[in-house]
Amino acid sequence: MTDAGVSGEPLVVARDLHRDYRMGEDLVHAVRGVSLEVARGDYVAIVGPSGCGKSTMLNLLGGIDRPSSGSVVIDGERVDQMRDAAATRFRLMHVGFVFQRFYLMPALTAIENVELPMAEARLASAARQARARELLAYVGLGGRKDHRPAQLSGGEQQRVAIARALANRPQLLLADEPTGELDAKTGVEMIELFARVNRDGTTIIVVTHDEDLARAARRVVHMRDGVIVDDRRQDGGA
Amino acid sequence: MHLVLLAAAVLQTIDSISPHRPPRTVAIDERLAADAHIAVGDRIVLTRAPGGAGDTVIVSGLVARRADPSEVARAEYRVRMHLDELQALTDYGDRVDRFAIATRGGAAATDSAMRQINAAAFGFQAYRSRDIAVETSRTFLVVSRFHRAIGVITIVASAIFLLCIMLLKVDERRRDVAALRLLGISAGSIVRSVMIEAALVAVVGSGVGVAIGWLTSLFINWHYRSVYRTPLAFSVVTPGIVLLAVSLSLALGLVAGFVAAQRLVRMPALRLLTGRTA
Amino acid sequence: MLFRLAWATLSRHRSRTLLAMLGVAVSAAMLLDMVMLSSGMRASFKDLLLSRGFQLRLAPKGTLPFDTDATIGDASDIVRVLRSIDGVTTISPVLGGQLHVVRGDRTVTATALGVIPAAQGDYEITQGRTPAAPNELVASDDFLAASGARLGDTLVAAAGYDPQLRSFTGRRTLTLVGRAHFLYMSAEQKSVALPLETLQAMQGAASRDRVSLFMVRAAPSANVDSVFKRIETALPRVTAISTETAMRQVDERLSYFRQLALILGAVSLAVGFLLVTTLVTVSVNERLGEIIVMRAIGVAKQRVVLQIVLEGIAIMIVGAVAGLGLGLVTARYLNSILASFPGLPAAIDFFLFEPRDAWTALGLLTGAGILAGIYPSWRGASLPIAITLREEAVG
Repeated sequence: MTDAGVSGEPLVVARDLHRDYRMGEDLVHAVRGVSLEVARGDYVAIVGPSGCGKSTMLNLLGGIDRPSSGSVVIDGERVDQMRDAAATRFRLMHVGFVFQRFYLMPALTAIENVELPMAEARLASAARQARARELLAYVGLGGRKDHRPAQLSGGEQQRVAIARALANRPQLLLADEPTGELDAKTGVEMIELFARVNRDGTTIIVVTHDEDLARAARRVVHMRDGVIVDDRRQDGGA
Repeated sequence: MHLVLLAAAVLQTIDSISPHRPPRTVAIDERLAADAHIAVGDRIVLTRAPGGAGDTVIVSGLVARRADPSEVARAEYRVRMHLDELQALTDYGDRVDRFAIATRGGAAATDSAMRQINAAAFGFQAYRSRDIAVETSRTFLVVSRFHRAIGVITIVASAIFLLCIMLLKVDERRRDVAALRLLGISAGSIVRSVMIEAALVAVVGSGVGVAIGWLTSLFINWHYRSVYRTPLAFSVVTPGIVLLAVSLSLALGLVAGFVAAQRLVRMPALRLLTGRTA
Repeated sequence: MLFRLAWATLSRHRSRTLLAMLGVAVSAAMLLDMVMLSSGMRASFKDLLLSRGFQLRLAPKGTLPFDTDATIGDASDIVRVLRSIDGVTTISPVLGGQLHVVRGDRTVTATALGVIPAAQGDYEITQGRTPAAPNELVASDDFLAASGARLGDTLVAAAGYDPQLRSFTGRRTLTLVGRAHFLYMSAEQKSVALPLETLQAMQGAASRDRVSLFMVRAAPSANVDSVFKRIETALPRVTAISTETAMRQVDERLSYFRQLALILGAVSLAVGFLLVTTLVTVSVNERLGEIIVMRAIGVAKQRVVLQIVLEGIAIMIVGAVAGLGLGLVTARYLNSILASFPGLPAAIDFFLFEPRDAWTALGLLTGAGILAGIYPSWRGASLPIAITLREEAVG
């Protein structure tokens, strides 16, 4: 596979993002005036200590949380101002999510889990089954398509989750601690898979404590106390 | 006596009185008084057949309905008058439909009186009042059986509902149960804890149910008393009924809690936690 | 896919799902029974009234048929007047009374109907024939069993009993020519029918030309209401009763059962609703993470709600279908209890099944299932995605 590479144009533009919320009597400033641009085809790791606001940042970028102020534009669309139905639709077609705890539907098989977003996008049954098989093969689980999540290991479940996230060919893949519940060996396999997905053209933003995963990214953004304290490329690019 | 007399009787009020004797007095039932707008002191005419000649009488009193179940659905009006006057009005002669006899001296005296009456040469048949009551209360026996059947079905249904809901609520806490088991808490302690919870829910729930039942009973009596215009109590919540309801709820709750808890503690704790079969 | 997910979720917790369906089945059975009870009596009574085609009845003034001992005098004149009314095709006068049949050293007392055999609408012959001569009678199975009489037997019968003389009055020798099913008699009631003139003669002078009731049949082409009004105008000294009037009387007397049906039906529906609501709520609470992730990956809120509501509907529908069979069984049992209601014709069914009843119950349960699932599923699907995910991760 050839490396699709990083193009110059930004896919994600976040400007002066703030996110505050109440915890009891206290007002917590989880994200404080963060601005971030992510180019098309880039692979960004956001790292930082626990409670620094990195997961909140990811949620804001993905449109599953609304900023208290600031803006988020993905592929020219102002995501933070979308109504719930529009934001949901946008996520379905343009953004893929991978979570630390996989969150597969336990009642469905692996292939059915991957089909779920395509069914929501009204893809015909035959087409979505073919694509689901293709994606499962892509993540190395072609022979486990009829297994339920309870019958899969953690690493296998996460692979299915990645396949599900890629179902509708999103431009952007967001991952929150994807290796958090995996052992070291499986974590390495996941790192390689993410790298392959990025090489094939998907822009990735991953939040992680995993140094190996952070090292594999093209760019690392350090956050502390709700602000970006460092932002450097690791692939020699500008 | 012809009850048609009673239904056809009171339709007009006239002011003519026989000059030869003072008008007789009758008592009418309060429903008739209400429906025909008759008050004490009014004059009415009683006739044997519609449109026929009759006697002018004065209403001297109103009679309230008794709390008698056999009279509940009976819509006919009643007039009370002296026996000889009714006999004369209806040309019944020196005849009656029945005698009611009170005895003194207990059951032995009643039996003796009955034997003597039945042996008399007048062709009477004497019955104990309670034997007649058995015959005339067949309607209520049927209704009673029906209520009992509904009650049994309700209890069976309640048992299933209770089991279902207990199962759901206990199932909801499967991870908590799993964590406790992994910490070393015994299955027996967990089952006992769930059963205590179930018992509390059952007792409090049945307390609320009794309160609702008591209020509903008040409403039922108020409603049907006004519909049937009777002082009869249609629904009674007795201490026995309360005890039965609470005991049954408690028993069912304990059984449901036990079954639900046993289901959970039998499953391996790790499987409860992760949901994994592999 | 939503149907698949709903069914897969239900299958995952098989015992819980089955128990909930069982609970709904019991609720559905009760609801079906109450729907049947609320309409059954009425429909059954109406069918009975019209079973022989007599749409109108005439009773003594101010009374209902056989409600009192009152009789109508000058019956022949009334028949003449009725025959002259446009639209009247058949008139069946009926006289009620008692017949004491002497069998050896015992007496069997039966309810007697004096009828005109060719025009009557009170019985159907099941064996033998209807009376063709003045001294013939037909009898019910209960009478035959009590008396030990058989078709062809000669019976000594009397219409009255004088307690003073301890003797029977109005004696006749009658021949039993038929076994009959009496339509309007209650269960276990010993009944006989004989020609009207015979019973009138046996009852003595007081019953000469008197009847208890007229049954009137209007021509198929006639407007029954118009015939009814003509009869009311022509015969003011009797009470004319249409089928509707009779139905209203029945409604009034049996209103208790209809109200009971309404209350128990509502309670059944409420309990079924409660059960499904609890199940859906627990299911949603257990799967909050899954539900929120569906929202996160782009499944629309309405479709998430729909998937959860489908689970509730599936339980309701499967439970309702199972409840249909259970309901029919319990209805038979309850009907057998109420069939022994004294004074009510044995032919009356309190629980009469009509397909419409099943559809009504199913519709109510499906509606309840939808409502039961909507609130907990909407609540679950409306939770803020980011916060819920964080709470689920921590939990």
